[in-house]
Amino acid sequence: MGKNGFGFMKVDKTVIKETKYIASFVIIFSVLMQAIFLIIGKWDYTILLGNFWGAAVAVGNFFAMGLYVQKAVSQDEEEAKKTIKTSYSLRMTLLLLFTIIGVVIPIFSWMTVTIPLIFPSIAIFLRPLIDKNKKD
Amino acid sequence: MALAIGIILGCCALGAGICMGIGAIGPGIGEGNAVSKACEAIGRQPEAKGDVTSTMIMGCAISETTGIYALVVAILLIFVAPSIFVDLLKSAIK
Repeated sequence: MGKNGFGFMKVDKTVIKETKYIASFVIIFSVLMQAIFLIIGKWDYTILLGNFWGAAVAVGNFFAMGLYVQKAVSQDEEEAKKTIKTSYSLRMTLLLLFTIIGVVIPIFSWMTVTIPLIFPSIAIFLRPLIDKNKKD
Repeated sequence: MALAIGIILGCCALGAGICMGIGAIGPGIGEGNAVSKACEAIGRQPEAKGDVTSTMIMGCAISETTGIYALVVAILLIFVAPSIFVDLLKSAIK
């Protein structure tokens, strides 16, 4: 691995913890979405496969972001800024590529490929509520 | 008819480009600044590294939300919207 790679970097337990939190919410929201498609009578195998693809891309993007943040916080300010900007461009390009693959290939439903991409942000917006309940 | 379809396709492509171009600038700058400040904070208080990293990951994910929304809208404009608009046009002409 080069200067910008991860080499044999150990994954921080904070990154694993946050990724688990996001992944669990993505699974919950995916199950809800499948249930909605079943209820409205539009469920078929493309809905399920698209959901798998979209959820994997969303969680993978979050995990990659966590790895880059972990790398950036051990660097100096200017280098960290560069690392995060590079990671953002790289992740967006990969996200675009994987989403296009999901939308273009007919075995995936475009709706269930794109909707899970916003699940991590919903999970983060719900976090203060969950933390508040834990404290109570 | 061909001209109308061409205009629809062109507008969709233009819209997707503008959407992605404007939507992706903010998160990139924001994330960079946030992480540089986090590094500064860790430099001052190294024992708070775990908390700062956790907050940073969530902060970066939130700031990236707009970029992901822009990406989704751009993809829909390129791959989904043209066929819907063309169908609408055809049904309007009939």
